[in-house]
Amino acid sequence: MTKVSTIEPVAELTDAPVKTGARLGLWLTLPAQLLVLFIALFPILMQVYISLTDWSPLDGIPWWRAHELWTGLLNYADLMADSRFWGALWRTFFVMAVCVPVQFLLGLGLAVLFVDDFRGKRVLYSTLLVPMMVVPAVAGYMFFMLFQSGGPVNDLLSLFTSDPVRIAWLSDPDLALIAVMLADIWQWTPLMFLILLAGMISVPQDQQMAAILLGASWWRRFFTIVLPRMKSIIIIALAIRVIEIFKIFDTLFIMTGGGPGVATETISVYIYKVTQQELIWSYVAAIALAILIVLSVVSVFAIKRMQRGQGT
Amino acid sequence: MQRAIPFEIFRYVVILSLVAISLVPTLWMISMAFKPIAEWSAAGADLTWWPRNPTLDNFRFIFGQSSTDLIVALERTAGRPIFASLLTATFGTLIAMTAGTAAAYGLSRFGQGGNLPLALIQLRLFPPMAVMIPVMIMWSFLGLIDNWFGLSLIYGIVTLPFAFWLMKTFFDDMPREIEDAALVEGCTRWRVFVRITLPMMRPALASSALFVFILNWSDYLIALLLTTRDWATIPVYMASLSSSMTGQLYGAKAALGVIAAVPPIIMGIAIQKHLVRGLTFGALKE
Repeated sequence: MTKVSTIEPVAELTDAPVKTGARLGLWLTLPAQLLVLFIALFPILMQVYISLTDWSPLDGIPWWRAHELWTGLLNYADLMADSRFWGALWRTFFVMAVCVPVQFLLGLGLAVLFVDDFRGKRVLYSTLLVPMMVVPAVAGYMFFMLFQSGGPVNDLLSLFTSDPVRIAWLSDPDLALIAVMLADIWQWTPLMFLILLAGMISVPQDQQMAAILLGASWWRRFFTIVLPRMKSIIIIALAIRVIEIFKIFDTLFIMTGGGPGVATETISVYIYKVTQQELIWSYVAAIALAILIVLSVVSVFAIKRMQRGQGT
Repeated sequence: MQRAIPFEIFRYVVILSLVAISLVPTLWMISMAFKPIAEWSAAGADLTWWPRNPTLDNFRFIFGQSSTDLIVALERTAGRPIFASLLTATFGTLIAMTAGTAAAYGLSRFGQGGNLPLALIQLRLFPPMAVMIPVMIMWSFLGLIDNWFGLSLIYGIVTLPFAFWLMKTFFDDMPREIEDAALVEGCTRWRVFVRITLPMMRPALASSALFVFILNWSDYLIALLLTTRDWATIPVYMASLSSSMTGQLYGAKAALGVIAAVPPIIMGIAIQKHLVRGLTFGALKE
């Protein structure tokens, strides 16, 4: 009897729990798997199907009968020749090319200022993070107000000129794009700062101390020790902003609605307009699918990179 | 590390000016929210930094009290959109957290669902706009357009990657000794998860839920596409606060903006130390 009772728990530990554990693990992951399947597989198949037709919700036939309006690859051919689409894509990349470096440099500079202790650090740190917590749509509305011709931005500029400045920021094509980018920089520089500071703090001190003892200057230490060790964090921070700016919609749409004309029309705004105003859903499906394919290819490389980065 | 005094001065000047820039847009909106109509209407181009006669009229107005100065009355008040935002963000958070926590535990402890991490990162990469056509078609087929459950469900899916990754890093960090001890005591795996692991993870669950809630509360695009009237959320409703007749109702919009902006700012500061973890999908833990 005594022998049995000592063996029993061991048997339970080695055999049964592993099996029930595996089964429980499957059950636990099931809801997430179903949700992913629900949002990924079926919609993408549907998107492929619809993109090969000329279907729109105004045609009066349900989507599954869209094959009656079969057009083959016509939507994709149209897409190639759609100058408004390419313009929107180019504009999105332009915003990215301006905002990401500015946010990165500002964030990095701020992180350097915050890396060692000083009086008031905690409060100032929290305050600097406020912009990224503001609801983007509300931020869009704030900047819409700020950039009115009678608004505070012009008031501030008027301090430096003799005549009151009355620039109509949001109705000038070039200025509107600048205003939109300023809003993005305002809102998302804190995110760069937050991530880069965390990365900078996690750089081990030993090598830096050694370098100080050897008399290396601050700049030298920063560029040869700190920055190289932050490489994977920097890649992650940049990747997050690149991804998010590619999707840019809320703030921009509320500030300008993509206008004046198409001056601030980015890819998401363009897709939105074709969806809601022109209602050519089959064409939207083609655009969306093209974007998804390109993004998938790019993201596989990016994710591999990030995963490798996590190890170091 | 000792640094020279000029450096300290430089540091404070730079930081304080950036703090000022960070705060001014928000403060401007708050100031607008408390201005009486005479101080914000389009005619009075003379905008001041502080309200000369602070008033709560804008807040009263969006909740349906007709203003003496403003002839228009609202067709719909802000009460319903605020309720819609609260309900859909909460329910979306519930969906994301339930599915995310369970899956994270399944992967962290039993190695099941190895495809999820990558699939969920991909889900986060794609612009929502690029999958909205099938979603809109499916939702209208299922009768989920302008419906609280339809919006909550898509919120739950969109924020699932964040819930999953946050909880996964928390489970990975948690020591297993206590769970193992309970197993030796004869508890089933399920009981250990529900009775021991989850209660121990309460702070992590709370932080993750707040993080996910902020994301759901901040949405504009999805609500814009999936709601029309009954379940329009705050940002969607906000756009209706202007018309060709009245022009922009600056004060009313600012008041609503303040209501929308305050909760996430407070929550965000509360979970500050987990923000990095959530935003980088656990690549960096502060």
